[in-house]
Amino acid sequence: MTIEKKYIVDTTLRDGEQSPGIAFTLKEKVSIAKALDIMGVSRIEAGVPAMGKEECQAFEKIKLTCKKADVVAWNRMNLNDIQASIDCGADIIHVCVPASSLLIEEKLHMSNDAVLEMIESCAERIHRYNKEFSIGLEDASRADWTFVEEIIKKASTLNATTIRFADTVGILSPRTCSHYINQINTEMDLEIHMHNDLGMAVANSVQGTISGAKYIDCTLFGIGERAGNCNLEHFLEALEGQYDFGVSLEDLRKHQSKLEHIIFKNKMCS
Amino acid sequence: MAAIIDRTLTSIDTENSDPIDLAYFCKLLFICGVTKIEAPPQVFSKMKDLLLTDPISWDQSKTYFLKVVNGIFEFEPNELIEKNLDFSKIQVLRLKKIRLIGLEDLLIQDYETIFHDLLNSGAHYLDLCPGNHKHCASAIALEWLLMGGQSISCSFGSCNNDANLEEILMALKINGKSNLVGDLSVLREIKDVYERMTGKTIPEKKAVIGEGIFKVESGIHVDGILKNPLIYEPFSPESVGNIREIVLGKHSGQRSVIYKLRELSLSESCINEILFKLKEHCSKAGKSFSDLDLLTLVSEVHNDY
Repeated sequence: MTIEKKYIVDTTLRDGEQSPGIAFTLKEKVSIAKALDIMGVSRIEAGVPAMGKEECQAFEKIKLTCKKADVVAWNRMNLNDIQASIDCGADIIHVCVPASSLLIEEKLHMSNDAVLEMIESCAERIHRYNKEFSIGLEDASRADWTFVEEIIKKASTLNATTIRFADTVGILSPRTCSHYINQINTEMDLEIHMHNDLGMAVANSVQGTISGAKYIDCTLFGIGERAGNCNLEHFLEALEGQYDFGVSLEDLRKHQSKLEHIIFKNKMCS
Repeated sequence: MAAIIDRTLTSIDTENSDPIDLAYFCKLLFICGVTKIEAPPQVFSKMKDLLLTDPISWDQSKTYFLKVVNGIFEFEPNELIEKNLDFSKIQVLRLKKIRLIGLEDLLIQDYETIFHDLLNSGAHYLDLCPGNHKHCASAIALEWLLMGGQSISCSFGSCNNDANLEEILMALKINGKSNLVGDLSVLREIKDVYERMTGKTIPEKKAVIGEGIFKVESGIHVDGILKNPLIYEPFSPESVGNIREIVLGKHSGQRSVIYKLRELSLSESCINEILFKLKEHCSKAGKSFSDLDLLTLVSEVHNDY
């Protein structure tokens, strides 16, 4: 019997590193990326090139090091940020699009129309350089669904290849997660990004996977903002034998234990 | 009204615990929304003088439930029959008082139909106590309660391989079931007493109760939180007895630095240079920037002028 393939997007080097107290040097980032590539992770979200020279250098080295995995650069909806990602050689340019009115109105002081216009500008820049274009729906779990559908439609028109559904503040339950994922009707690949604020990132990722997501965002040891992201090891344990993720639990545990002293070095020092 | 049974005291070694701590732990659990506390007789007998006036004769072969009825503490023997869920025999549960255990793989099955069948099984009392080997126990317990389940059993802070009490309570609150939840601001006190009794430390990033879950470094997140904390926090630190802390590091932005300079009553001049040097240092060193580091950097930058 053929087992269905699904793919891991590891964001240890981006969302994971945003966890206070965790910071990687260039060399450490490259070591982690190399291990992720060897163990079979499909995409490595390696950071935010807009952060500066050091981050861009890390990207260039990671790109040279990774033999199989695609390297993803995370971006705000900002052309300068996107240009930095293009310049450092990322394979996939991911643009994080605010989906909820909390983000659009209270944080960015924008209108929905301005968000849609900005997506067009970002897409134009990314396609000009023949890069793969991926869109993230930030805070989609608290967004007005009509606007979520507008963004998805726009992304599709602009030839985005992947749409990422983000439960940015980790409020979903498995049933609501499944409900949202089932509502997304698109030919683009679907990616899910779950946070662990209620301790349900693994359960929600399991339901999102069963409901049709092709790409699942995880981090090593589940590190990330607040209570963290979906823990890769726990996720693979939860769905062991159900799908082919291209990553074996045995390999993951072996590599992860070798990386523990890098990831938690500041805690170990203290 | 659904029952939330806490079984933390069935698994921790309380031999050397202070009876006052034990009784306080129980009182706090009731405040946050627990309806019954399960423990063996030897645990309850240690603190019964603090809770009861009447003597009680314990059956040492059973665990007991402590509950509050009209403001008075009462004990009742645990008469639930523990069973693993056998999908072909759901009807057999009829008229029995059952605690279903295991259930680790439930989320990869058609759990909504299974829950529906269980709710219509005719069981006299049906308690769900999912195991956490697949890291989904809290989610399973939550869905059971949201679908109308009568009772769940769980434990505090990941102990006992059970669903997590604090995760279920906060998830119920966020899902509009506040009637099942008490005052969660006591979670911090529960954590302190738990750590004192067990000698174990709750991990810093543990969902809902971790000490460090309201620390924030990323410039994007700090900017959002200073505008409106709801943007990047699903619940407030105060609601779980915690506090927010802005930390400086390689992901910091200008607003974070200004916030910290004001907090430490330092001059805000040369802010761009301070931010640049701070980020450069953190990137190279691979660590965060302490208040002392900031004081040193500010004086260095200002002395250069």
